[in-house]
Amino acid sequence: MSFEEIVFNIIGYSGDSKAYCFQSLSAAREGDFKECDELMEKSKAELLKAHHIQTKMIQEEASGTKQELNLLMVHAQDHLMNAALAKDLIEEMILMYKKFK
Amino acid sequence: MNILLVCVAGMSTSLLVRKMEIEASSRGLDVKIMAKAIDDLENVIDEYDVILLGPQIKYKEPYIKKLAQQKGKKYSVIPSMMYGMVDGKETLDLALKLKD
Repeated sequence: MSFEEIVFNIIGYSGDSKAYCFQSLSAAREGDFKECDELMEKSKAELLKAHHIQTKMIQEEASGTKQELNLLMVHAQDHLMNAALAKDLIEEMILMYKKFK
Repeated sequence: MNILLVCVAGMSTSLLVRKMEIEASSRGLDVKIMAKAIDDLENVIDEYDVILLGPQIKYKEPYIKKLAQQKGKKYSVIPSMMYGMVDGKETLDLALKLKD
């Protein structure tokens, strides 16, 4: 994968994950918990793909291959972090919907 | 024809815009392609024919769908695979297909 592809893949997978997450929350709001759980699983699967790219980069850096670092990569990391936080918070919110249904 | 790409900050899509412009000029097409942040969309949407969303902003699709309907514009979310490959050719085709 080229540097450009790495950045765009992290952003793309993070974006898909975040979208599924919010759809999952909407399903919970509508009381459709089956749909909600399915969407959350999809969200996790997409986030994992972004994480795999990230982990591979960190491992490469740890083994001595210097990684290119510029604003675009920082931006990609920002997207990944946002998606990860959205998932953690939304999981909690869904638990609340389930508890108070 | 004016094509607008929208993402969170208009940053990563700018790179894709450059690739699309190269592809468009190699085909001899007269298109204007721009990247904007989602917060700017309402101010500029009138100037464009089609709107493409980066996958990172897909969670805001309900908002964009409503806005696009109001304004009579066509939009599409760029598939992650296409986005991940930074594929200017495919993305340009996606925009052209929307216009038809």
